[in-house]
Amino acid sequence: MGAAGSKLEKALGDQFPEGERSIAVPPARLKTSREREGRERLAEKGEEEEEEAEGRAGAYEAAQFLERTTLPPVLNSFNNTYIDHKCKIGVKGKKKEAFLGTEVVCFEKAKRNRSLEVAITEDSVACRPHKSCSRIHTFGVLCSEISSQKKKTGVIAPKRFVQRVKKENELFRSYMHQDAHEFLNFLLNELVDILEKESRAAAAKNSPETSSPAEKTANGPRNLQANGVHREPLVTWVHKNFQGILTNETRCLRCETVTARDETFLDLSLDIEQNSSITSCLKNFSSTETLNAEDKFFCDKCCSLQEAQKRMKIKKPPQILVIHLKRFKYIEQLGRYKKLSYRVVFPLELKLSNTVEDADSEYSLFAVVVHVGSGPNHGHYVSLVKSHNHWLFFDDENVEMIDESAVQTFFGSAQEYTSNTDHGYILFYERVATTSQT
Amino acid sequence: MHRVGSAGNNSNSSRPRREKRLTYVLNDVDETKHCAGINCLAVLKSSVADGSDYLFTGSRDGTLKRWGLAEDAATCSATFESHVDWVNDAVLAGENTIVSCSSDTTLKTWNCLSDGICTRTLHQHTDYVTCLAAAEKNSNIVASGGLGGEVFIWDLEAALVHVSKSTDAIEDDSSNGTIASGNCAMPLTSLRPMNSSSNISLNGTQTEGYNPLAAKGHKDSVYALAMNDSGTVLVSGGTEKVVRVWDPRTGSKTMKLRGHTDNIRALLLDSTGRFCLSGSSDSMIRLWDLGQQRCVHSYAVHTDSVWTLASTPTFSHVYSGGRDLSLYLTDLATRESLLLCTEEHPISHLALHDDSIWVATSDSSIHQWPAEGRDPQKVFQRGSSFKAGNLSFTRARAYLEGSAAVPACKEPSLTIPGTPGIVQHEILNNRRQVLTKDTAGSVKLWEITRGIVVEDYGKVSFEEKKEELFEMVSIPGWFTTDTRLGNLSIHLETPQCFTAEMYSADLNIVGVAEDHKINLAEETLKGLMAHWSAKRSNSSGSQASANGDVQSGKDVSARNHSHSRLEVDGAGNRNFVVYPAFEFSTVSPPSIITEGSHGGPWRKKITDLDGTEDEKDIPWWCLDCVLNKSLASKENTKCSFYLHPCEGSSVQVLTQGKLSAPRILRIHKVVNYVLEKMVPDKPLNGEKSDGTLAPGPAVGLSQFPANGVDIFSSTGSKSLQNLKTSIEILCNNQVLSPEMSLATVRAYIWKKPDDLVLNYRLSGFEMLVYGHGDAIFLLVSTTFCNLFFAVAGRDQNYLQLPSKS
Repeated sequence: MGAAGSKLEKALGDQFPEGERSIAVPPARLKTSREREGRERLAEKGEEEEEEAEGRAGAYEAAQFLERTTLPPVLNSFNNTYIDHKCKIGVKGKKKEAFLGTEVVCFEKAKRNRSLEVAITEDSVACRPHKSCSRIHTFGVLCSEISSQKKKTGVIAPKRFVQRVKKENELFRSYMHQDAHEFLNFLLNELVDILEKESRAAAAKNSPETSSPAEKTANGPRNLQANGVHREPLVTWVHKNFQGILTNETRCLRCETVTARDETFLDLSLDIEQNSSITSCLKNFSSTETLNAEDKFFCDKCCSLQEAQKRMKIKKPPQILVIHLKRFKYIEQLGRYKKLSYRVVFPLELKLSNTVEDADSEYSLFAVVVHVGSGPNHGHYVSLVKSHNHWLFFDDENVEMIDESAVQTFFGSAQEYTSNTDHGYILFYERVATTSQT
Repeated sequence: MHRVGSAGNNSNSSRPRREKRLTYVLNDVDETKHCAGINCLAVLKSSVADGSDYLFTGSRDGTLKRWGLAEDAATCSATFESHVDWVNDAVLAGENTIVSCSSDTTLKTWNCLSDGICTRTLHQHTDYVTCLAAAEKNSNIVASGGLGGEVFIWDLEAALVHVSKSTDAIEDDSSNGTIASGNCAMPLTSLRPMNSSSNISLNGTQTEGYNPLAAKGHKDSVYALAMNDSGTVLVSGGTEKVVRVWDPRTGSKTMKLRGHTDNIRALLLDSTGRFCLSGSSDSMIRLWDLGQQRCVHSYAVHTDSVWTLASTPTFSHVYSGGRDLSLYLTDLATRESLLLCTEEHPISHLALHDDSIWVATSDSSIHQWPAEGRDPQKVFQRGSSFKAGNLSFTRARAYLEGSAAVPACKEPSLTIPGTPGIVQHEILNNRRQVLTKDTAGSVKLWEITRGIVVEDYGKVSFEEKKEELFEMVSIPGWFTTDTRLGNLSIHLETPQCFTAEMYSADLNIVGVAEDHKINLAEETLKGLMAHWSAKRSNSSGSQASANGDVQSGKDVSARNHSHSRLEVDGAGNRNFVVYPAFEFSTVSPPSIITEGSHGGPWRKKITDLDGTEDEKDIPWWCLDCVLNKSLASKENTKCSFYLHPCEGSSVQVLTQGKLSAPRILRIHKVVNYVLEKMVPDKPLNGEKSDGTLAPGPAVGLSQFPANGVDIFSSTGSKSLQNLKTSIEILCNNQVLSPEMSLATVRAYIWKKPDDLVLNYRLSGFEMLVYGHGDAIFLLVSTTFCNLFFAVAGRDQNYLQLPSKS
């Protein structure tokens, strides 16, 4: 930490409110998180959460963590505190919840810094009461450690968390490089499990405070504030922040009856193309697919197989939109996966237009997990996190402030062979309060 | 099979691994009605002044029908049955040929004034054939379009020549095996009696040697085609959203017209081929000038997809119908439009017939509405018209705003009724009955091994009826069903179909042992092939005339009913017995859909089979089953289980090994087995346990007094019956009814994948012992004592009890 930390501290000194800290959480050093080979993430859209905060540093750290101590186990143990911790944090404001999510991720990966910062600033008070519990729940602990740091900047080694994760999930026990997206999925799902167990237990104990699962994400934070200490039994903070609803519309081309099926998602995995943008990737994501030839659709109306057109639309945009860029592709000739260094522009402000509702949803970028490396199976993660209008760059225990314009250096490259191997991999967008909300 | 050099059947090459299946369609009683939605219409006007006109309809039930039109009535005069899937379109080609296309990927040509003779089957498409177009002045040219972007242009005359040639070879094979020269087809054909319906072998032929002209270049599926009168312009449309223009003489692309924003479902060309009308799922009708290569008008008339168009002879007005149930008439020049009528179902096809218009919908009935096709202006005087907008959905908006037009006609001038199609079905647990619900809401119970409705419940709740009919029996699923043809189709596939057995007693079959096991699929196949078999054996002796065949078929069915057993002595002394539970109705015989070793799938009524069909036409496994009684590969129909004494019960251990028995074995047989084991060396009168019960290791009954058995047997089985009632078989601590089968117990009580464990106890006995001491004393003191002691031999309680009482 030393020099870097103090420099940052200096830099932030004036602008950061008292009590805020920017802390890098380097895990025991790991080389890189690995992207699992050939992991086709598309199918997993529903499950992702924000882990992007793990920038390069995150990646390294994560990898390290993963290798040395595994993160997953942590989660279970800290369920309670952890949850409480989060909820409280969430109470303070929308952002915090989101950040918490990210933080958690980061923590696990050891690079949660930016999240940490946010969390720290906003949660510092909330975290304290839980300190004692936190020890049990490593993730919570990590969060609270960060948030309760006296120093404004610093490095926390998320050893305990990593240990826990390793203990609880053998996937992370090896020295293999781990994929940030997979880890995010894992973390969020694990959190949901824990939170649900928690709330069930709580509901059994307390009066059943079953808030309807249909509760709007947009209102989530406010409700949380209102309810303060209460956990949502069915709609966890994970859902409130990350979960959106996709609708899968299938239209039989013979009778033209439309069948719609809704499914939830925690992140969107997008196929990418060279020199494209998130907007165009999203457009492709929602483009029409025809079910034909050997893959016809059984239409209930026609009682037979017919051609059909299928398309995905976002029915309910999430509060925090996690976009996972599928930067890997199976190359038949090579018989293995290849990393795609395509240039994919991700704007700081994003409009979601392929929604069912007419109104566009506006999002603003607040974190990016960057994969550093030329291949899909190894490399290093660093992260960019926006905190209090400052972009912070986390690379293991190094944290520095960067200019907003520097974000675009992580778009990717238009040429196939390039020295720049830092590419945005997971993007975290937060929904901007639109006029309709106010 | 000495067909040399015949091209392989491309339509089958995609799935070579699976055995061909046999499907039978349970036809409705009323053969003169369609039972599923109507996809296409064609009007044949009589060439002579006072002749009657005909309407042809093609339906989703897989058949076409011809209706003789009188002033105020339409009567079904023929059914064209050969397609095995939806008939999607049909066009008239010349005076006496109608061409149809189907989702079975074929085109078929029919002699349209015959009683249903399919003259040709044209295989070329590899996916559903959705649409056809004919050139009015060149009756030989027909174009077909289908899914996957396939468009073919057929010269029917050329195709016919080639088909006849290849037919020769087949006739050869099936009749006398002599090799005929390709030119003497007719004489050879006459050797063989032509049956009333389509000739299967003919169906099987490919269009070897003839290849239609392919119009290549469509990227996506084709849903609409049109050709001008002289056959010089062909237009196609589909999911590509563009209208493509072709020269049908060369198959080359002429142009591509963009404008529609969704699937193009209907096309029309004027007689010259200059103007083209298109109807699309984007709800618009567009008029294109092919000379200028542009859209000259767009008409926003409908509020939903436009599915069909029909124009007046002068191409001045267009009738359009679609998903919004509405039929509009639009003046192409003035853009004036009028709602002619509304249907209850989406409109799939229109056919203008003088001053009226025939309307086909997704319902099985057809309506005729007054349309004033010869002077459409008259219609405009009848109702309130509006100006068609030119922006998509302007009508939809108007409609929503409440300015919906009132139809000019309220009632159709003529209705050709159909029968309601089946929309919902459920196979009951007994695996012989299927509950169905049709479009009219009627719930019926079918017995699929006889092909009849055994109960019509009327309009009741399907779900409730299903609950009510629930039976706790478990019989393996030996068939699958679907209802895409509006009727129940039963699919049999080997070897899965041979898994289901039942006892003859449960099927009320007399004359065989009551525990004779009946294989449901085997008997069903025999039932389906009874007519075939009868004709086959008749014709094997002497080539019977066609008349004779029909006669014998009737004899057979008559005998069938009077004797409740149908016996046909095959030439080879084969005893062909059809049990009444598997006799199919001859009034509304089911149709078989299947495929032989070559040729495409075909469909025929079972009564129309002429006995000459062989392995080329029918899957070998069906023939094997019917003729040789060998079931392709009999699936294991056994169930293994353990039989242990009840926990805490004091009964002796009979066996510890695993037992094996037919799945349909009833629990009372298990009771018998238990009894038999308890009295080991004496067969019980008439209660011999099922031979397939594997003898388990008998456990220590050897010390019983020998005389006990003698006493027992001398008193007969009456007392045994008494004892029987006192033996209970349990599974999962639940007492089993003696009528349950092992499979049922396994499915509903055991509910585990591992081997079934049954327990037995003498509960009735114990009750007697404890509850009615005197009775027991009586039992013991009379005939039962030895058995009693035998039972109690290993258990001191029993020994002591009698003495207590």
